[in-house]
Amino acid sequence: MEEKPFRAPLGSRDSDDSSPDNDTRNLWTRATLSQPKLNVPRSKICDDSDAEGSSLGSKTRRGYSRKAGRESGGGWEEREDGEDKVGCRPGDLHGHLSLEMELRRGSILGSHLEEDVDSKTETEVSSSESWLSMSRHTPHGAYWIEQQNRLPLPLMEVVENEALEILTKALWSEDGPDHFLTKHLQRYIEGLKRRRSKRLHLVMY
Amino acid sequence: MKLKQGSFLWYLYLDKLYCLLSVRNVKALLEYFHLLDVHHNNTLNDVLFYHFLRHVTSWKRTQIMIVFNMLDWNAMGEIGFDQFYMLVCILLAQQNHLEEQFIFRHSRPVFELLDLDGELRIGADHFHMYNFLFNIKKQELRELYHDFDITGDRTFLTDPEAQTLTFSINVTFYGKGKPKHIIELYKSTDTTKRL
Repeated sequence: MEEKPFRAPLGSRDSDDSSPDNDTRNLWTRATLSQPKLNVPRSKICDDSDAEGSSLGSKTRRGYSRKAGRESGGGWEEREDGEDKVGCRPGDLHGHLSLEMELRRGSILGSHLEEDVDSKTETEVSSSESWLSMSRHTPHGAYWIEQQNRLPLPLMEVVENEALEILTKALWSEDGPDHFLTKHLQRYIEGLKRRRSKRLHLVMY
Repeated sequence: MKLKQGSFLWYLYLDKLYCLLSVRNVKALLEYFHLLDVHHNNTLNDVLFYHFLRHVTSWKRTQIMIVFNMLDWNAMGEIGFDQFYMLVCILLAQQNHLEEQFIFRHSRPVFELLDLDGELRIGADHFHMYNFLFNIKKQELRELYHDFDITGDRTFLTDPEAQTLTFSINVTFYGKGKPKHIIELYKSTDTTKRL
């Protein structure tokens, strides 16, 4: 995931060149001002993580960490609320926000970013709504796209190890060592072992 | 039969209502199948099939070869992913004690699997041969034939009778009904009027 700070490409007048993080957080804050009834607004989490002694924020953080612990083994399953996947660490959040902004930029007309906060129009409200709903449903978009196409690595490891065991036993039981099928099986097993050792090597280093 | 704990199949599960795998599980199973498909034919030959079942189940050699012959519909000496998937569903149904539900949901494919020679008839010998697949006990088979083998030739006919037979198998074997009610139901659904 990209970690670069968000830069408003359409020339936001409110941008603060000295602190891009503040821009992002301000955008978050402003975006949710029109959405007072959101259950778990991200800005709330962001702001509360900065502010001290906010009971809602701390409760939310506790709730998130509980959910993260419960769902740690469920990498296959999509969660109902996309926000559950978001941790509250500032570094993660920043990277996440930049991705969110990229998604937003792709789907909403850019002129909304230029408007002043006080002169929000209905379009911006609806675009904020659509952005929030979109971001709620498609966080970590690149990750989930990959998950749709490939199996998770831990599962692939289990599958490969088991296949290797089965094929090795099959090789030992072959009666014709010179038969082309036996040789083919032997080469295939060696290929699997090489792939596995490469993966283990990468994991270790 | 118990699946080997920690094996890949052990982690899979059937949908309890339809007794089928989810799309994600099928995708994972397909990857597994492709890894075992050493010769890139989209099939498993008898050697690979034997070692696969020997690794993940507690079945003996004779049982494994019976299953292979059952699944090798075309007598090519190898089985494709469709048959492999069917087998995995049967294994998982047995592992999770869903044999009854599985037969209920997939009565036609199960009938066709048991009907080895394609005569549209299955006899007591078929059930005996495959009782390790669906956990059908001998005494229950005896009672079933006693109730339903009206022609006396120790075979059952297919089509409407197969559906009723399957229902009755579920009811009789798994103790949810009494023979009298089954016979009445059977007679009422016998559209061929041959019995």
